[in-house]
Amino acid sequence: MNFIVGNSGSGKSTLLRLFNQTLSQSSGNILFAGKDIEEMNTIDLRKNIMLISQSVFLFDTTIRENFKLFYEYRGLNILEDANMQEYLAMCNIFFPLDKDCTSMSGGERQRVYIAIFLSFLPKVLMLDEPTSALDKENSNIVISNITGYCQKKEITVIIVSHDSMITETFAENLITIERRAI
Amino acid sequence: MQGAVQLNILQFSLIYLLLIIVLIIMKRSKINQSKFLLVASIRMTVQLVLAGLILTYIFKNPHPIFVILYLTAMTVFSIGRVLGKNKGVNQNFKIAVGLSLALSGLFVLAFFVLAVVGENIFNPQYTIPLAGMIMGNSMTGVTLGLKTFTDSIKTQRNKIDALLNLGVTPKKILIPYVNNALETALLPTMNSMIGMGIVSLPGMMTGQILSGTLPTTAIMYQIAIMIAICTAVCLTVFCSLHFGYKTLYNKRNQIIY
Repeated sequence: MNFIVGNSGSGKSTLLRLFNQTLSQSSGNILFAGKDIEEMNTIDLRKNIMLISQSVFLFDTTIRENFKLFYEYRGLNILEDANMQEYLAMCNIFFPLDKDCTSMSGGERQRVYIAIFLSFLPKVLMLDEPTSALDKENSNIVISNITGYCQKKEITVIIVSHDSMITETFAENLITIERRAI
Repeated sequence: MQGAVQLNILQFSLIYLLLIIVLIIMKRSKINQSKFLLVASIRMTVQLVLAGLILTYIFKNPHPIFVILYLTAMTVFSIGRVLGKNKGVNQNFKIAVGLSLALSGLFVLAFFVLAVVGENIFNPQYTIPLAGMIMGNSMTGVTLGLKTFTDSIKTQRNKIDALLNLGVTPKKILIPYVNNALETALLPTMNSMIGMGIVSLPGMMTGQILSGTLPTTAIMYQIAIMIAICTAVCLTVFCSLHFGYKTLYNKRNQIIY
């Protein structure tokens, strides 16, 4: 479990965006599995190195429809209900799949969003402030479940977090970023 | 059928009295736009008088260069208006909009004048008024389409970023916004086609009937110009947005806001 910490504005989120190449570095190289990511197809790269950003987006519809729409955008068949519920449970969401996402709280929406992205099973999962809208108890459960699941599936996890409790509990590698220095 | 009654200045001036009604209603409804109404009325009068004088001169002394100059001025003005109303778009997007507006408008105009009317494209009596209607409506259409598109991109940034992070191509993300903007831009033209003949006797047809043209001929011209306008709006907005949206991302599939 890799954690990135640092003050606001130090470039943590920017670093994640460089990793999935939604932003290009002005100099230097970033390697993924020994290959320079600038030589890789960016769409394939983003499918493998998936970023769950801190600004949550869900379609104004039910949980099931949200899964369906995201999967359609990726050109994939929708998951079985049981699979969806499995990922939602990992994120401590136990609503029926017909539950409308517009009536959920910020924290609930964040967890549904994480569950959907997690279900795509990338090789690297990057979470930017995944607990920003969650209380202590939910934060612990969600991060513990995600890290446990990703370990089992051999998914590398990179988390940017301000939450010192989460960082101290789960970090195996801790990277501190300061302005102009790592 | 007889030609239109020639208006003398006094008779003509009476029409401005109607604006007093508008001013009274605006005042009563506390709409603070009386100055704007005044400016708009004066600008319209001056512009149309000037256009009338220029057209009278061109009709008396027809020459291809006058037609070309008039069309160029029309096109440049309409491009300027569209881009002035949508300042946030990048340079290449602006070029796409300008070229689409000019080429689509001229293509539909040429088809109308050469194939449908069977007249010389440099005959100012046909080319200039028809170009005015086609370019004017294309300008309104593309302004609306472009505004709808850019507003959606701005307000849906979260969605765009989420899909980009998921590994969706910018093309797949942006095309629904292009289609939605095209639909919005086409609606006013299609709505006016629906109401035509029942709700409204449109301007061109009214003008022709007043000047003594048989209503059957006026109707044919009206139908033709409406179809031409619909095509020009559709083509202009389609080309502007289809070439334009591609300027919003680079080879690395990064969106440039």
